[in-house]
This record gives sequence, C-alpha cells and structure tokens, in this order.
Amino acid sequence: MVRLLLALSIVLGCAACALSSGEDPRREVVVFAASSLTDVFTALEGPFEAAHPGLDLRLNFAGSQTLRLQIEQGAKAHVFASANPDHVEALVRSGLADEVAPFAHSHIALVVPGSPAGARLERLEDLPEAQRIVVGSDAVPIGRYTHEVLRRSSELFGPGWRSQVEERIVSKEANVRLVRTRIEQGEADAAFLYRSDLAGRSSLKEINLPPSVQLEADYIHARIASDGADDRAADAFVAFLFSNETRAVLRDFWFTPARHR
Amino acid sequence: MKLRLFNTLRGLGGLFGATLVGLLLIPGLALVAAPSASDISAGLEHPLFMPALLLSLRTSLVSLSLILVLGTPLAWWLSRPGGKLTRIVETIVELPVVVPPAVVGVALLETFGRRGTFGPLLDSLGLAIPFTEWAVVLAQLVVAAPFFIQAGANAFREVQPDTLVVARSLGASPGAAFFEVALPTALPGLLVGAGLAWARALGEFGATLLFAGNLPGSTQTMPLAIFTAMESDLKLAVVFALVLGGVGVLLLLGLRSLPRLLGRSAFRETDR
Repeated sequence: MVRLLLALSIVLGCAACALSSGEDPRREVVVFAASSLTDVFTALEGPFEAAHPGLDLRLNFAGSQTLRLQIEQGAKAHVFASANPDHVEALVRSGLADEVAPFAHSHIALVVPGSPAGARLERLEDLPEAQRIVVGSDAVPIGRYTHEVLRRSSELFGPGWRSQVEERIVSKEANVRLVRTRIEQGEADAAFLYRSDLAGRSSLKEINLPPSVQLEADYIHARIASDGADDRAADAFVAFLFSNETRAVLRDFWFTPARHR
Repeated sequence: MKLRLFNTLRGLGGLFGATLVGLLLIPGLALVAAPSASDISAGLEHPLFMPALLLSLRTSLVSLSLILVLGTPLAWWLSRPGGKLTRIVETIVELPVVVPPAVVGVALLETFGRRGTFGPLLDSLGLAIPFTEWAVVLAQLVVAAPFFIQAGANAFREVQPDTLVVARSLGASPGAAFFEVALPTALPGLLVGAGLAWARALGEFGATLLFAGNLPGSTQTMPLAIFTAMESDLKLAVVFALVLGGVGVLLLLGLRSLPRLLGRSAFRETDR
C-alpha cells in the first residue's frame, strides 16, 4: 500500500514537472509577432542572442488578431509586432500596450502560382478569371488590406467586377502564411499577400497592381505594459529592431525598414 | 493498520475522481455562466450564426446518412467470425480514431486536392472537392465513421448465430433473417454508434479547416465559426460555443435514454 501511494505520488509529480520547462539561467524576452514576420524574426534570433548573452528570445507567431486576443487574455509578452496598426491601437486604448511605432513596411501583392496548370492571370483586371481565390479572414491584417485593395479596384473596374471576384473566394484563412500555403499547394489560383511573403519563393509570381490600388502595410511594434521587472529586456529588443543589423536582415526578406524611430 | 491505509487510499481515490469530474464539468458551467442575455441575443442574431448552424446540421446529417448506409454492412461483416482480412480491415477502420484530425485534413488534400492522387482525374471530370460542402462532408465522414462501425460491430456480435439458423430453418431468406432478426437485435447498439458518429461529425474542426477551408455560408461549420468569432469577438465565440455545447448535451441525453426506450418497445413486441 505504501509503495502504491509512493508510486502514485511519483507519477503525479512527474506529470507536474514535465509541464514546467527546464530552468534556463537567461532571462526571457517574449515577442509576439505577426505570421508574415516568421522568417525574418527567426533569422534575427541568433544575432540578437549573440548581442545579448543574458537574454533568451522566445518567439510566438500567429495572425495579429490572435496575438492581440492572447495578450488581452493575459498571455505574457514583452513586445508585440503587428502587421497593421488596428490591433496595436486597440491594446493601447485598453492600457495594455504603449510606445507604439512602425519599424518596417511591405506592400500588398496580388500573387499567382508561378507555373499554373490552367489559365494564367496577367492583370488585376482579369482576377475574376481565377477559379479559386483565397484571402485572409476579416480580422487578420492581410484580410483587411485585401478589402481595401478590392474597394480601390472596384473604383477602377466597377462594382460588378468586385462581386465577381467575391464569388470566386473559396476560403478566408486565419493568417497570411496559410493563405500563401493555399497558393503553393496549387489549391488557389490567386491570393493577396505581402510582397515580403514572396522572398525566396520562386514558385510564386507577383502581378503588378495599378498605382491607384497599391497599398502599403505598416508593421508596428508595441511594448506590452508590464510591472517593470522585465522592462530592460523589452528595451533591448526594441533597440535591436532599429539597429543597422536588423535593417539589413529586414531588407534581405524584402521588407522596407522604417526610416525613423 | 491495514484498514486505515485502505481508508486513506479510498479517500484519495475519491478525491482524484472528484478532481477529474470537476475538470470535466466546471468549464461547461463556466460557459453557461459567461454570457449575459444581451450577449446571447446578439450572438444568435449575428450574421455568422445561422448559416454556420444550418451548414453544420445539414452536412453532419448527410455524413451520418452516408455512414449508416456504407457502414452497416461493414459492421455486420466485421462482427462475423473472420480471419486475417477481418483483422486488417478492423485496424484500418480504427485509424481515424487514433490519427489527429489535422493529419486527416492534410491526407484528404493529398488525395482529393488539385495536386493530389485523384486531382487530375477529378479535374478531367470537371469536379472539384476541396473548399466545397462535399469536402466538409468527406472530412466528417472519415473522422466519424469509425465510431459507428465499431459500435455497430459490437452490437451485431450480440446477435447469436443460432437465432439466424432458426430463422433460416423456418423459411426466412438470408435477407429476411438479417432485416427481421439481426437488425432489430442490434438496433440499440447501432443507434448509440450513430449518435456518437453524429456528435463527432458535428464537432469536426481540424480536418474541415484544412481540407474544406473556412468561408461563411459555404464551408464554415459551427466549430469553424467559433474559431473565426474568437479572432474578433470573444463574447460571440462564447455564445456560439454554448449553442454547439447545448446540441452536444442534447445528443448525449438522447443517447442515454435511447436504449431504455427501445428496450421497452422491444418487450412490448414480444408480449404481443
């Protein structure tokens, strides 16, 4: 019996300790970043940790709206990098974030498969010819930018064009990388992405947009309000975001670094 | 000494059990308590709500019908004594139970997607399955069918071979023996399996999201509507979850009372 109790307590103890991660002597910097920043922020992790040996960068990627929700629900984060200002501003209004500034820009791009089996799109005007269009959901930044692009386009091509395009939309994905996957899978014939999502992707082709339709996306960083203990870690990351090293990496991934801090 | 230890252990066991029951029950109660009346009415009037609920009911009932038609003969066959082939088929049927729905979704895309196994064939026939209601049905069918087939096979195993032999010796055709003897005997178990499969189809999320996409009014079932609502309005997600949870509870209550109701009616028939 005693042995049984002992065994039980060991099992429960193990279950508990398996859930809490091993201790790292370095302090954590938790950064929540928009899906479209996945590659560039992952590439920044090594240089950042090399420059700050005492800090451990932890990255969490998702649609900006999901990250905002997680922060509102109490997730621990030091810095939030959003693909549009809306979600950051909402956090500022509710007192959860401050020190907001853009750190990079990209452009909205109409993207088609590089080697299509069926009809090939050449112009935005021909978008209704795509059999299947995939866009971002109404809450994710790429979905909102897409709305704006379609609104501007309908001023050029008329409301009939827009409703034809909307009839071709088959799915609204939760983040921009899922939209990109639909093109890469061959399941979608056209999609709106950030131009930076095409970096290093030779299987994707960008269609030029008319000047009046072109739209810039602003990447905004915010410091998540904390009790002060971890402020220096957050400071270190924000400073690093505007370093020359980061600017070079941002350019490698087809982002435009913001001019001023 | 021994008795005291035994009592301690029993107390501990009770505590463990109560903890688990609490963990299962409290989130449900929290869901019921969370929304205010105005949240609920706003949620029920939201444009995402009715299309998603109707789509969920429609697709899950189509999936269930297909599962019943295709699965009943299979369940019967699996319930009869068999050899190696039976065991292989049994394992195949159990696969979707142990494989995560996300895996099912990716596998379905690799099968029916444009670049999938049957992609070129479907394309030449002018058919496209991903991102349609049929994709929703297929995803539900694959993940839910095992629940019916397993429960059905178990129910058919209760049918004694002797009763079938007697029926045949009294002049019943094999078909009549199946429909008039085997099927009524197994009916309570079959219905429980059908209920489980329906509940699983109604709750399908991962495979649907990956294979059928997420478009309101077209492929957005209730679980996907909850996921989408969560991104913009937590209160909305809570109301949607409450409705879907309520449907699940009703299903469970139905499942619980079905065998009893059927048992009684079976008695009445033998009395006659």
